[in-house]
Amino acid sequence: MSGIALPLRVAGEGRRRRRWPVLVLCAIAWLGLMLGVALLADVIAPYAYTALDLRNRLASPGATVLHPLGTDELGRDVLSRLIFSIRMSLLIAFGATVIGALIGTSLGVLAAHFRGFVEQVVLALVDFSASLPFLILALAVLAFFGNSLTLFVCLLGLHAWERYARIARGLVISAGAQGYAAAVRQLGASPWRVYGRHVLPNIASTLIVSMTLAFPEIILLESGLSFLGLGVQPPETSLGSMVGYGREYLTRAPWILLSPAAVIVLTTFSVSVLGDWLRDRLDPTLT
Amino acid sequence: MSAVPLLEATGLTRRYAMRRGLFGRPVEVRAVDGVSLALERGRTLGLVGESGCGKSTTGRLVLGLERPDAGGVAFEGRPMPAPGTPAWRALRARMQMVFQDPLGALDRRMTIGAQIAEPLEIHSIGGRPERVAQLLRDVGLRPDQAGRYPHELSGGQRQRAVLARALATEPALLVCDEPISALDVSIQAQVMNLLVELQARLGTAILFVSHDLRAVRQVSHRVAVMYLGRIVEEGEPDAVLHDPAHPYAQALVSAIPHPGRRQRRILLQGDPPNPADRPSGCAFHPRCPVATTLCAREDPVLKPRPGDGRHVACHVAQGEVPARRAA
Amino acid sequence: MLRFLGFRLLRAAVTIVLVVSFAFVVLRLSGDPAQIIMGADAPPEAIAAFRRAWGLEEPLWLQYLRYFGAILSGDLGRSMRDGREAIALVAERIPATLALTIPALLIKLGLGIPAGITAALHRNSLTDRVVMMLAVAGFTVPSFVLGLLLVLVFAVQLGWLPSGGQEGWRHAILPIVTMGIGGAAVLARFTRSAMLEVLGQPYIRTASAKGVPWRAVVWGHALPNAAIPTVTIIGFMVGSLIAGAVVVESVFSWPGVGRLLVVAVANRDLAVVQCILLLVAATMVTANLVVDLLYGALDPRLRQRTA
Repeated sequence: MSGIALPLRVAGEGRRRRRWPVLVLCAIAWLGLMLGVALLADVIAPYAYTALDLRNRLASPGATVLHPLGTDELGRDVLSRLIFSIRMSLLIAFGATVIGALIGTSLGVLAAHFRGFVEQVVLALVDFSASLPFLILALAVLAFFGNSLTLFVCLLGLHAWERYARIARGLVISAGAQGYAAAVRQLGASPWRVYGRHVLPNIASTLIVSMTLAFPEIILLESGLSFLGLGVQPPETSLGSMVGYGREYLTRAPWILLSPAAVIVLTTFSVSVLGDWLRDRLDPTLT
Repeated sequence: MSAVPLLEATGLTRRYAMRRGLFGRPVEVRAVDGVSLALERGRTLGLVGESGCGKSTTGRLVLGLERPDAGGVAFEGRPMPAPGTPAWRALRARMQMVFQDPLGALDRRMTIGAQIAEPLEIHSIGGRPERVAQLLRDVGLRPDQAGRYPHELSGGQRQRAVLARALATEPALLVCDEPISALDVSIQAQVMNLLVELQARLGTAILFVSHDLRAVRQVSHRVAVMYLGRIVEEGEPDAVLHDPAHPYAQALVSAIPHPGRRQRRILLQGDPPNPADRPSGCAFHPRCPVATTLCAREDPVLKPRPGDGRHVACHVAQGEVPARRAA
Repeated sequence: MLRFLGFRLLRAAVTIVLVVSFAFVVLRLSGDPAQIIMGADAPPEAIAAFRRAWGLEEPLWLQYLRYFGAILSGDLGRSMRDGREAIALVAERIPATLALTIPALLIKLGLGIPAGITAALHRNSLTDRVVMMLAVAGFTVPSFVLGLLLVLVFAVQLGWLPSGGQEGWRHAILPIVTMGIGGAAVLARFTRSAMLEVLGQPYIRTASAKGVPWRAVVWGHALPNAAIPTVTIIGFMVGSLIAGAVVVESVFSWPGVGRLLVVAVANRDLAVVQCILLLVAATMVTANLVVDLLYGALDPRLRQRTA
């Protein structure tokens, strides 16, 4: 672990100018577009996502200039719904990724700091997470605690926590065993200082790469749960719930479902490409 | 100066539980086994021995980084507080450590200037920019190098930076754990000279842990030789290193190459014994060229030798038994 | 070895206890099942009778102990909907699910592992790029999107295969393919990176430098070592045989455990959900245990890392 920082900087500067893979550039461009859409949703959406146009129900894309991506069974503009769905899905995925990273990293650091009993508890929780497919766990919690957006985000935040916990614990233990963390501790630094100023900045690149790898999984989970009707609830809309509701019109109006599906695929694909590329660059030890 | 030594350690013992193999029951390993030492202000005690003899653990115990299982450390006459407590942290300003691997001991993401300033921040000592510049000059670095990152410096410069950080709070005690063994030979001498010079200027006491006898002789006022967790001989460096009394110390000294001088090297048989499986009697007897039956039976204690008062733990050197055969 | 086994068994037991407690806490604290089952406008005496019948008015800790005792004796409760044994309800759905997940697992293994190995052995070649592109694509297309696309093409447009239901083997093709492709992509990525890591090790270079034929290096040194991390993910796949088809079963209206779970969750049918949770956890824990023991067989170093 202590080998990360140095080769990273040296290798990074040498190669960076030589080759930015086209695929990575495309991925970044797409993500930039998505981010822009999410931020400017109110400005660029032609209609409100709940606005009905009963005269133009199930209009196909291009059938009317009013609705470039067509309309759904209630005559709602697919493009506008798509724009707001992108905002919702990205918001949830960002929130959940950050929550997962925070919880996981904190528990991992606690386990590494206290060792002993605390560590065993954290490891037992990690085992517990690994013993249930997350979808099953999420299904149980969601349906029984009802469904609010906050709960949904927090629940998805639990998705990859054990991964961060494992990584953080390993890195903190190896940092503390010898090297800079031990050196700073014997200078008289408080644990806050040791972790906040030294250990966390040093392991941050690894954690950021893991976040990039977990992000698409969370988008997929969110859309999967929303598809099952257990995620984002109407009138709110997300990419997954658009696909879920569009499913009933699969034969008559496939465009309702195809555009959000395409956005999901392109977005997760872009983040994965970016994450893989970052990982190869920054920290090849992660899988 | 008071009569109380700056640092006094008595009967330090540190055990580790080690498990061997899959079925093995935990075996107790005594890394340090009843080590006592004292260090006066402004003096240097050299601690030598081969790797695994417990000298680094002794250094950590003396600093209070680890708690001994038995025995105790008194610093300026007061017992060492438990690690991590506020009292312990405050005491760090008075005692510092210099590490074997300067690159590992420095945070790669911070400039050395920020790292040298860190003990000042931790212990709320003011006047930072000037103090950092002064420290850099003290250890032979340029003040403008404060903005450099560790990987931008050479090995010797990094060790100087570590030294500057250790000296920032003007500690009374410095524990140097193999401070030069990771450095190039040409740099080693510079760092050694720097240590001696800084000690003369600042009056810092140094516990110098090393396996390098010549380095120890160069800086130390007293030398202690460790073998398997115990001090087997202690005395003035010139005396110990020119005329060692303990057979182990003799073997160590004979291993120093002397250009132009022909001298018979004492070759020790076998490897250093496993600390988990300590030989009976004198721990050195299986490898000792002059061991007697008494040595296998009875543990020698560290005490002044009848003739010159040298502290040595050896039945033969104490004249209690005749040597089995001449060394 | 015994020590290792004992330690692993203990961990597995702790995990199961955690899952049971989790199920209990989540399901009991989330709302009043009596109200939900009987409806908000049910007469109070009917609700009281229901609560008594299901032991819902006892203190929570007593319910918990009773619940634990019942589970230990193999009684997983009855469905609150139709009063049938939850375990029987779940058990009759298992064959349908396995009919999808086992063939899908075979596709994953048969497609994913060779693809990953080939990609790793020809790193940066065209094959590698194509395989990895497909793998990333396969991983990023959610199963419900892939399933619906397959339906759109093969059922709606071409009319070759049915779009849903369970009347015969032809109905199973699309769901199996949907699951197989996604899993194969994950496995290919994983196998490739495990292989690449092993191929970069000094002992591989040593073996080929001392003249061992490359085939022998790959078969004798690289594959066994790369198998170690890959076994983990295969273990996870085996562990999720029972519950790995929730989304796909919903897409294709396949009457398996996954459908049952979604319906039970929507109906707040506590016993059924608990039963599935436990069943899934038990399979996963068993699979993990087997993986760990396999690990021990594959990698002697791990046997010593017990604590």
